Amino acid sequence: MPPIAERARSAASGWADLPLVFKGVVVVALPLVVLSMSLVSLWLASDAESRAEDDVRLTFAIQRDTHQVHALLAEAAAGVRGYLLTGQERFLEPYRKSEAEMPRTLARLDASIRDRAVRVRFERVMALTVRKREGLAGLVELARRDDPGRDAAIAAALTANKRVLDGLRAEIDTIHDLEESLMASRRARVDEVRARYLALTAISGLVGLLGSLAAVYLFSTGIVRRVRLLEGNAELLERGEPLAAFPEETDEIGRLARKLDRASALLRAREQALREGEERFRLVIEGVRDYGIFALSPEGNVASWNTGAERIKGWRADEILGQHFSAFYPEDTRATRPAEVLDRARRDGRTEDEGWRVRKDGTRFWANVVVTALRDEEGRLRGFAKVTRDITERKRTEEALRVAREEAVAASLAKSEFLSRTSHELRTPMGAILGFAQMLELDEEQLGDRQRTAVAQILKAGRHLQSLINDLLDISSIEAGGDDVALEAVDLSDVLREVRELVAPIVGNAGLAFRFEGGPDRLVVRGDRRRIVQVVLNLMSNAAKYGRTGTTVTLAAHRDGAQARVEVSDDGPGVAPADIPRLFTPFDRLGHQRVKGMEGTGLGLALSKRLVEAMGGDMTFRNQTPPARGAVFAFTLPLAAAEIRKGAA
Amino acid sequence: MTGGQLVTSRDLLSRRILAIDDEDANLLLLTSLLEREGYTDVRCVADPMQALDAYVDHDPHLVLLDLMMPGIDGYQLLEAFRRQARPDEFRPVIVLTADTAIHARRRALSLGAKDFVTKPFDVVEVALRIANLLETQVLYERLQARSAPAGG
Repeated sequence: MPPIAERARSAASGWADLPLVFKGVVVVALPLVVLSMSLVSLWLASDAESRAEDDVRLTFAIQRDTHQVHALLAEAAAGVRGYLLTGQERFLEPYRKSEAEMPRTLARLDASIRDRAVRVRFERVMALTVRKREGLAGLVELARRDDPGRDAAIAAALTANKRVLDGLRAEIDTIHDLEESLMASRRARVDEVRARYLALTAISGLVGLLGSLAAVYLFSTGIVRRVRLLEGNAELLERGEPLAAFPEETDEIGRLARKLDRASALLRAREQALREGEERFRLVIEGVRDYGIFALSPEGNVASWNTGAERIKGWRADEILGQHFSAFYPEDTRATRPAEVLDRARRDGRTEDEGWRVRKDGTRFWANVVVTALRDEEGRLRGFAKVTRDITERKRTEEALRVAREEAVAASLAKSEFLSRTSHELRTPMGAILGFAQMLELDEEQLGDRQRTAVAQILKAGRHLQSLINDLLDISSIEAGGDDVALEAVDLSDVLREVRELVAPIVGNAGLAFRFEGGPDRLVVRGDRRRIVQVVLNLMSNAAKYGRTGTTVTLAAHRDGAQARVEVSDDGPGVAPADIPRLFTPFDRLGHQRVKGMEGTGLGLALSKRLVEAMGGDMTFRNQTPPARGAVFAFTLPLAAAEIRKGAA
Repeated sequence: MTGGQLVTSRDLLSRRILAIDDEDANLLLLTSLLEREGYTDVRCVADPMQALDAYVDHDPHLVLLDLMMPGIDGYQLLEAFRRQARPDEFRPVIVLTADTAIHARRRALSLGAKDFVTKPFDVVEVALRIANLLETQVLYERLQARSAPAGG
């Protein structure tokens, strides 16, 4: 059995769970119901009273009418007796009146009588009345007869009438008594009914009062108290504090309270997340060492300061906060530059600046600064964010690089100038020497044998010196980054066919066979036509020099990926592995000692390799794979862009 | 000789030639070469500052010009010659220079030089080039002489 307190609680919570509409209806309807109940009971009481009064009036009417019946008959009898005595018609007046009135009175009584006992008596009264009236009518008849026995008959009739009237009176008295007692009992009942309904009304009033009090109590506990609690919670929510516990109820207020509770939890969670995010962000910003990150007010006063800013600029936060940021600028720019920077940031939203800044101790550093205008949602300027980097080192490196570059350019220019001048200075006398020697050679028939030999030697040595000078200047010029190589699209196959015509006699004169494998009909590379010819001629004459009589020199070309590859191979002795690294070194003529009568400057291979490299290619050497013998010089050149696309397609 | 259409060696050899070079040896070489070939009217200028005066004064048919000279160089002279030139004239300049750089060749040719020979040069080749240009010049002049009356 549940304890009473629990049941009361469950009833109370049951009440609280009801919807507000229902509660309102109950609170308003309860006093109304009680009021209408008391009205009904009042109405019932007055109704019962009026019915009781009707009964009393009816009793009086019955008593009056029964008396009237008796009175009418008594008066009629008296009249008839008067008529009998006097024979005068006027004594019959009451009798006639009685005859006229009697039926109406009896009819009224008949309608009024309800009580069964009275009705029995009334039936008898009716019968007695009829007999009486018949008796009286008989007397009147006798009076009008002139008959000797009249008086006797009258006397008998009178006696009989008298007895009837007596009986009638007795009956009427009985009715009277009965009605009297009926009335008394009805009166008593009326009193009782009135008393009962009055009591009922009083009780109703009391109940109504209690009901109203109950309604007020319920309203207070079910609504007002909880709304107050809710109001308190709303204030707590406003202050961001935890809400007071609210009973778990399902009506509108309960639901509102739960929603408030959820909103509060949500708000607190968000606030927490925001706080954590801000804290994290603050820690990150403050912890950054390599960047000075700080905020400025719209006027340019320092509003925040991080570790990086302290490290770079030397001021501690408490020393600089509130100061104008122009303190970071050197004297010469302090008056103008800060305002310009803020103006630009205000106008463009963001601006970047580079220049000298000063530290607290007055030393300078080269800073890269990014200033960003901070605006709120309405677009009002709230301040500026400033990120400063100390790039003095970088600046210094850049400066050093720039100087080095300028020096290199200057050196290169100087070298070019030197080469140009040397070229001029060497060629000019060579021009005179060779020119005059040639002039002498043209007129050699005028010379003696010794002079002719001398002129031939001058020309031979002079031409060797000239080619030496040319190669030397070419190499130097390439190494100085000269523009002696003009790159353009060149059909390599075409170039090789041309070179073939030139070299065939050279190879033939050396007593060698020549094989040409020109590769594809068209092989467009990026290079300098003149220089390609120079390189191939060089390699071919080289091969002709070292090839043994009766063997074959081969010139071959083919495509190799995004490059063209040209190979010149001979069947000569090849190169000793130890000497291979020295092949492309200037003035290092391998095998010079071994092969007699060999011509060349000792610069050919070195120059060829550098020329190929200047055109974006490479030159390599390998010995033929045994059992084959001989040397293979190969160089590559990049294919022209169009050629690569064609190949890929 | 037939119909006057062929260019005779006499037509060429009487043409005026101006050689400009600051090196006396080169000038001597050129004059020796030209005299050996038979040219009769060759003038040499060793001082480039006097080159323009000589050009106006001598009114050469052909100029042999060195590029690298002190004071005023061959490029400047090429520009000066071009300013002097009449619109219809054909007065070839052969540049003879020790500068083998490709930009030198391009620059000289773009300034109006008709030929570019690097030193040391083959004397026979130079003589042939001179003769070729002069022959072209003679033919050009004949063509002009023939079309001028028709045009005027």
